[in-house]
Amino acid sequence: MATFYVNGNSVTVHKNQTLLRFLRDELHLTSVKDGCSEGACGACTVLIDGEPCRACVPRTDNLEGRHILTVEGLSDFEKQLYTYAYGEAGAVQCGFCIPGMVLCTKALLDKVDDPTEEQIRYAIRNNYCRCTGYVKIIKAIELAAKLKREGVIPAPSETDWKLGSSVHRLDVEEKVLGYGKYPDDWYLPNMTYGSAVRSQYPRARVLDIDMEKARALPGVVAVITAQDIPGENKVGHIKHDQYSLIPIGGLTHWLGDPIALVVAEDQETLEKAKKLVKVTYEPLPPVHGPEEAKAPDAPKVFDEEENNVQAYKHVSRGDAAGAIARSKYVIEKHFETPWTEHAFLEPECAVAYWDEDGYVRILSTDQSSHTTLHECKLLLGSEKVRVQNQLVGGGFGGKEDMTVQHHAALITYLTGRAVKVKLSRAESLLIHPKRHPFWMDFTIGCDENGIIQGVKASVYSDTGAFASLGGPVLERACTHASGPYNYQNFEIEGTAYYTNNPPAGAFRGFGVTQTCFAIESLLNEMAEKVGISPWEIRYRNAIRPGQELPNGQIVGVETGLVETLEIIKPFYDAAVAAGKPVGLACAMKNSGVGVGLPDWGRCKLIVEKDEKVHIYAGASCIGQGLGTVLVQMVVTNTPLERDDVVYERSNTWIAPDSGDSSGSRQTLITGEACRRACEKLTEALKEHTLKELNGEVFYGEYLAKTDKLGADVPHPVSHVAYGYATQMCILDKKTGRIESMVAVHDVGKAVNPRSCEGQIEGGVVMSMGYALREQYPIDENCKPIDRFGKLGLFRAHEIPDIQAIVVDKPGLDVACGAIGIGEITSIPTAPAIAEAYYQLDGKRRTRLPLEDTPYERRDR
Amino acid sequence: MEKRFALVACNGGCRNTDCGYGCLGCGMCQAICPFDAISLNDSGVAEVDETKCRGCGACVAECPQGIIRLHGAGYPIVVKCSNQDLGKTARAACEVSCIGCGICEKVCPSGAAKVTDNLSAIDEALCLCCGMCAVKCPRGAIRDLRGVLTSRS
Repeated sequence: MATFYVNGNSVTVHKNQTLLRFLRDELHLTSVKDGCSEGACGACTVLIDGEPCRACVPRTDNLEGRHILTVEGLSDFEKQLYTYAYGEAGAVQCGFCIPGMVLCTKALLDKVDDPTEEQIRYAIRNNYCRCTGYVKIIKAIELAAKLKREGVIPAPSETDWKLGSSVHRLDVEEKVLGYGKYPDDWYLPNMTYGSAVRSQYPRARVLDIDMEKARALPGVVAVITAQDIPGENKVGHIKHDQYSLIPIGGLTHWLGDPIALVVAEDQETLEKAKKLVKVTYEPLPPVHGPEEAKAPDAPKVFDEEENNVQAYKHVSRGDAAGAIARSKYVIEKHFETPWTEHAFLEPECAVAYWDEDGYVRILSTDQSSHTTLHECKLLLGSEKVRVQNQLVGGGFGGKEDMTVQHHAALITYLTGRAVKVKLSRAESLLIHPKRHPFWMDFTIGCDENGIIQGVKASVYSDTGAFASLGGPVLERACTHASGPYNYQNFEIEGTAYYTNNPPAGAFRGFGVTQTCFAIESLLNEMAEKVGISPWEIRYRNAIRPGQELPNGQIVGVETGLVETLEIIKPFYDAAVAAGKPVGLACAMKNSGVGVGLPDWGRCKLIVEKDEKVHIYAGASCIGQGLGTVLVQMVVTNTPLERDDVVYERSNTWIAPDSGDSSGSRQTLITGEACRRACEKLTEALKEHTLKELNGEVFYGEYLAKTDKLGADVPHPVSHVAYGYATQMCILDKKTGRIESMVAVHDVGKAVNPRSCEGQIEGGVVMSMGYALREQYPIDENCKPIDRFGKLGLFRAHEIPDIQAIVVDKPGLDVACGAIGIGEITSIPTAPAIAEAYYQLDGKRRTRLPLEDTPYERRDR
Repeated sequence: MEKRFALVACNGGCRNTDCGYGCLGCGMCQAICPFDAISLNDSGVAEVDETKCRGCGACVAECPQGIIRLHGAGYPIVVKCSNQDLGKTARAACEVSCIGCGICEKVCPSGAAKVTDNLSAIDEALCLCCGMCAVKCPRGAIRDLRGVLTSRS
């Protein structure tokens, strides 16, 4: 027992527990986020006697007399100050790390009036952020310090919510002050807790499940197995091969395969009961990787499949082999890229309950509420399901699949009780699909001027224990392996293999992050062979409006690769002239799903009783800022003002399905649907007031029509639009560390330039990790061995100067010209960094993370 | 770069025993400190006043036991023991000795805490300053110098 103070109030805690559990579960101070409960992430940072501490570390009995502060306990001035500073700087994306960052800010500013940038970096260096790359958080702290000294909080610098204005994002306050709700922040009356017992072996036959002891434990509500599933056991985005629960007699596919769901009245009983479920297995030899998977006598990962090939793609145009044979210069190389963990700050969590209309209501953190709906309806064999997005604490592709949503739905459906299903951080690292590791063989041929004649490649990937988006990721890896250049002889074949490793799926860049490393690295080497600069070889080959991409698509007037190269040139020339090691790389990335798939954007603008227009789109804001984008769309395309417009989080019963937040598509696809709805609303507003329009629905939809891969047309339109980028890395010769990164991105029309910069900075830092340090090692038992704090994510004191330059190039005739930027920010970073290291030490590196750099983990 | 402070890696629990690694209370560090930042505490163990210490390192070189080192000002979680004996001996020598049990290594989320030669050490380059090792240390050998997660000494 201990008595201490929380936000000035005296509290007595009888049960000894971590401070985090007490603050969240008993006081419901949900600004204190549970990101890992193992001391790593920093999301639960509170101030204890003025010092930043993670609430998951100390136990309450040791806190006698201490003063604990959470953001709920900040003064009104401080609340306004930090909301303003973080909003003005554009420092808030998914928001999950933000309350912790805010408290680090307070602790610093309470001691130092006018901190230097270095002091600021040090003050937040123990807190991870995966979205922002820290750049704008550092800016926010600088601004907060200045405003605190001045004692006055001004009006935002930009208040016109039209496109092109860097207004404060609409979700800043709820994220800074921590009252915005992620699923884990719900504490429903009479709520149970659910969790899965998972396979002990990556590949084993389940012979028996003994639940008697677990069921007999007081406080256990239910133990659920495959035979209790009313609908289809297997779910999945495209291919239904992900078992919701492994049945007796069934094969396990990886260590994350769920075998039984345990439901209990409280979290402690739940953990005890899980240990009481006894599963009998017949362990079988696992498939550790693609090399084993492709062997003729390989064990099969799936009973149902003929072999371990999950997907095969072949893309060919022109005569790549012939063109290469006729080329003056030819380079052939092998490249490898690793598994990468998304490491979003918010672990997966879903809350489900029976709603007042007799539906299973799922409160979710995912990348599409409608995808969750489809898969849960499939599992339950029932239409009576509704999904509502809560705040989403980062996704990056890792929240596209079912991890907890379907389990929560099933538990509520079977028990009738409300339930919270949350993954521990260790489970999260195991469960959600990762970035695919790729093995790639590339050959490029160029003429004497460095003009690309042809590229031929063969790649394969490890897609792990179920398909997830393995097929589309492989396809995008293949279609974009050509790079954003103008040549016509291109051939690639790719194969994705099932293995007993954790599943791989979508991850920011969607396969292109991998093949871009190969093609851009080759181009850098080719430039040297030809005797021109890496900049020059790209400028000569860059795709220009009206030209044909290697996939046959004629690109539109909005194509801005050349502009990104021209803008970066002075930076590049200056660095080269100064004798600095500098590396360059380009990329293109589709915006929208493309390749002939039905890619719908849908949006309803509903005038409600409050005489405001409410935006309903079944599209998830996962931290990228979609809500703000849509409000800016409405303000731009109607006569309405910001205060007339309300953004509603995605749901499945009012908001129409607008697809996944995937493929950099929401700004363009849902943006255009919203713009179309605006046309109708504007027409109505000519003759009516909002009061008169109460209850009216203005619906907009947009089908981004494309041709399927290999379509028999002269110039297939693979994607409605592409974003283009050039990134550059400059090294400090003395230290061998990155001095600065310059990232120039063509976004068509920047809806909110500061938000765009935030995407770029975050993407660059994320891929600095991919290039230099991040790993996801898997052991002999197909088990990922590292914890969150060992993944190698970059921290605030380690990031270099990052210049994000946003280029507007009009021309795209939808979504007011806006092209998505989510993924491309992460794509050219790694090859640019690899080239800079080559310039430093003359060593060509063909594997990620790059070897022999100061960033290399010493403990590996 | 970040400020560094001297740290006397001894909790001073061995005053009446024969720990061969602890502070002798000889006062040489105190004598050489140009900033008057070191004094002997009630147990006769040298202690650094971080408000005065400038991290010059003079005491590090002077200490006959070699148990003074510099730590980053932003890294308050420290192993305040230098005993490299096997666990049993170290346990007998002092109430607050590191016995090399490895719990710190196990609970450290970032791979910063490592036991080498029966003694825990924290790699500041990897440390996230969470204090999990200090809180979980069964011997009280790892301290939070801020006096928040553990007492200072």
